[in-house]
Amino acid sequence: MAEEFSTEGMLDMYLFENEQLLEQLQDMVLEQKDAECFDEDSINEIFRTMHTIKGSSGIMMFDNITAVSHKLEDIFYYLRESHPDNVPHLELVEHVLEVQDFISNEMDKIRNGDSADGDSSEIIARLDAFLEKIKGEDGEKKKKEQPAPNKHVEPSQFYIAPVASSASRFYRIYITFFKETEMVNIHAYQTVYALKEVAEDLLYSPEDLISDESSVETIFKDGFKLLLQAQCSEAEVRELIGVGYDIEKVDVYECSAEEFLQGFDFGADKPVIESNVKKDEEGAQAGKTEQATPKPGDFVVKSKEPGKRKTLAKDKPKAEKSSFISVNVSKMDQLMDLIGELVISESVVLQNPDLKVPGLNLNSFNKAAAQMTKISTDLQNVIMSMRMVPLTNTFQKMNRIVFDVSRKLGKDIEFVMVGEQTEVDKNIIEHISDPLMHMVRNAVDHGIETNEERKKSGKREKGKVTLSARTEAGKVWISVIDNGAGLDREKILAKARKQGILDENRPDSAYTDKEVYQFITMPGFSTNEQITEYSGRGVGMDVVIQNIQAIGGVLDIDSSPGEGSTMSLKIPLTLAIIDGIVMETGNSSFVLETGVIEQFVHVTEDMMIHEPDGEEYVMIRGECFPVLRLGKWYGLKEYENSVENGMMLIVDVEDKKICLFVDRLVNEQEIVVKPIPSYIKKVKGLSGCTQLGDGSIALILDPGGLLE
Amino acid sequence: MDEKKEEKDQAVENNAVSDGYDEQKGKYMTFLSGNEYFGLKIQYVSEIIQFQAITEIPKTEDYIKGLINLRGKVIPVIDVRLRFKQEPFEYNDRTCIIVIDVKSTIVGLIVERIAEVVEIKEENILPPPSIGRVDKSCHKYIYGIGKVGDDVKLLLDPEKLLNDDLSSLEQASEVKNEEE
Repeated sequence: MAEEFSTEGMLDMYLFENEQLLEQLQDMVLEQKDAECFDEDSINEIFRTMHTIKGSSGIMMFDNITAVSHKLEDIFYYLRESHPDNVPHLELVEHVLEVQDFISNEMDKIRNGDSADGDSSEIIARLDAFLEKIKGEDGEKKKKEQPAPNKHVEPSQFYIAPVASSASRFYRIYITFFKETEMVNIHAYQTVYALKEVAEDLLYSPEDLISDESSVETIFKDGFKLLLQAQCSEAEVRELIGVGYDIEKVDVYECSAEEFLQGFDFGADKPVIESNVKKDEEGAQAGKTEQATPKPGDFVVKSKEPGKRKTLAKDKPKAEKSSFISVNVSKMDQLMDLIGELVISESVVLQNPDLKVPGLNLNSFNKAAAQMTKISTDLQNVIMSMRMVPLTNTFQKMNRIVFDVSRKLGKDIEFVMVGEQTEVDKNIIEHISDPLMHMVRNAVDHGIETNEERKKSGKREKGKVTLSARTEAGKVWISVIDNGAGLDREKILAKARKQGILDENRPDSAYTDKEVYQFITMPGFSTNEQITEYSGRGVGMDVVIQNIQAIGGVLDIDSSPGEGSTMSLKIPLTLAIIDGIVMETGNSSFVLETGVIEQFVHVTEDMMIHEPDGEEYVMIRGECFPVLRLGKWYGLKEYENSVENGMMLIVDVEDKKICLFVDRLVNEQEIVVKPIPSYIKKVKGLSGCTQLGDGSIALILDPGGLLE
Repeated sequence: MDEKKEEKDQAVENNAVSDGYDEQKGKYMTFLSGNEYFGLKIQYVSEIIQFQAITEIPKTEDYIKGLINLRGKVIPVIDVRLRFKQEPFEYNDRTCIIVIDVKSTIVGLIVERIAEVVEIKEENILPPPSIGRVDKSCHKYIYGIGKVGDDVKLLLDPEKLLNDDLSSLEQASEVKNEEE
């Protein structure tokens, strides 16, 4: 909390908090988009979200955001207070999303250092019209109910008063604001925020500054009261509070610890205080309960309730957020790199040639080394898990896309998510977001037929798009499944012929379905005759492929006519550290991911089958595998020629098995994957490089590439 | 050895005052390759290191010798003589690798012998003659000929040195754009 209360920090905070609020808002809205109307909790939640955004945008002087959020708040205020019937729900959902888009957009501008200059008048006009509409429809039947402001109530808290250290001093602070100050509650909050920097303990009244509108009145009427326990002098306190344009008068009185514990000494909740005082006197620790409070969402008739007490230690964020801190991604990457280096230097130490001197007693060294290895493995696991992020957010974004596209196209689509909690490395999430978007869009636009077509073919009118994720064998499978018409093999073949992709000498029937379906991933290939807003120009699928290949994934397309198609991405869980087998061929070291190796076999010459054209096969336990000699394939020098002196690896790649022949195996170790510098153009079968224990570099093999 | 060390120091010094662009202006790191001396603007040079073990990468151009491990960073190295289509030479302990940084591409250049850092004034730099003593194949990498006293240094364009197929790459991406 050494952070200063500067505008820059505030801006970051503002952007971060609002971004989260908007995300939650969107999730909530989309979750209920198919319902008849929002339930009461959601209405309250949207209202509160908008209110918070309005408040913070007000401080930050983003007027257009303030205006838009205010308008939406108005609508939800009306909904909340008057419970109108006949609200066109989908229209409302669209309006909320529209506002959310607008604010996100403006926040992007702010983040990029531009000014938030989006024109809010149009959107406000639309919201106004909508509000008028629902008000009009609803008539005057709800007039009788007097709107009662909702009170946001923190759950009751128990609080252990800190043991007052001798250096601590206690202050009673009264702040009077100028009468004309707007949003005085927010100014008060700024003061609280500033004081939190030094406070060992801080109480203030009224307690609920932001979400309770009545706090404004209370502050004007009774002034803003604070109780502060801190180690600084009165002058320092005054400086922190500052006397700006908004504050008329600040009174700071020093008081004793007993007085401090008595809290705000005035009328309304005296009984509570008294009961507390007794407890307080008994010991330095005081348990404090709050009055029985209504649950959020209940409508409470406002009573005159001056100064409710709230206690807080250093900081008291909302419960669900308290377990997270946000860290700059570059710092995480740096940590990751450092741990990578640590793993390497660890193996440099443990495999140091100096240790190989005969006659050395290494017992205690080995013990210590084992302990260190354990710790560094744990460390690695922790950092890996820190980088693992559930797919939930990415999937939620798709929900939005399905909603938008299906509304525009007039298709009725049910969107189902399965396994969105599956965790994937953060870097990978960044790479799959775009491809997934294309795939989902394609599924909605091309996959699902129009409502009429569906009716004609006797299907349920409502289309269904399923987005599912699961982990299997160290890989993540993400599938987009639609129950639409499926891919049209003939149409794709015809188009492929027109584009000259087909091999003239090969009959159509010789192409397997999978091969045919893969054509749609070619650049410029689209079977959609009409170019729509969303798809049809034939970009998209090739972008998907490129993005997926960049992270070592594959796209699998499956389809059955009339029943729909399934597009599955198979991607690695993580890119950074893998278990690998180090092996040597000629003078070069290579690494192969342990997961793809099925077994190591020693073969004899009589198991080999040689074809006249140079192809080789090996018979192992009645199965025949094609042989790939790594040395020959890469044209290396001085590699082992005789199969009896080398080692065969049975490698399982994309349902095919091949035998890889290398000179010898070195060891198995965890390796930190580094990209091959982009200056060197891509070599088939190599996916990266790594540093070995002795500091030399080994090349990481990509079995998929070897197969081609 | 001393000579080399001195240059290294100088290069480091020059880097240290990297803000002072003027300090580096007109200074060239020169090295011998074949029978000619070549010059490289000093601001591209990030350091000079001793020759070290190289991991070969199969199926690449012959002048790309492979990868080296520079304090945990993997960088590619190219053999300048092979790049100029000159005869290959044996690496020995005098062989050095000049690490250059051209628009964030970091590459090591294996050169036969490092000479010195010289200052060449603008007016002493001539455009390369169309028919000259220069071997044709390395002509395209040279943007000028610098005179230092009686000697001539061939001034290298490092971008062309690294990527000769720049133009073809651009063409390829254009074709792709059209398809889209």
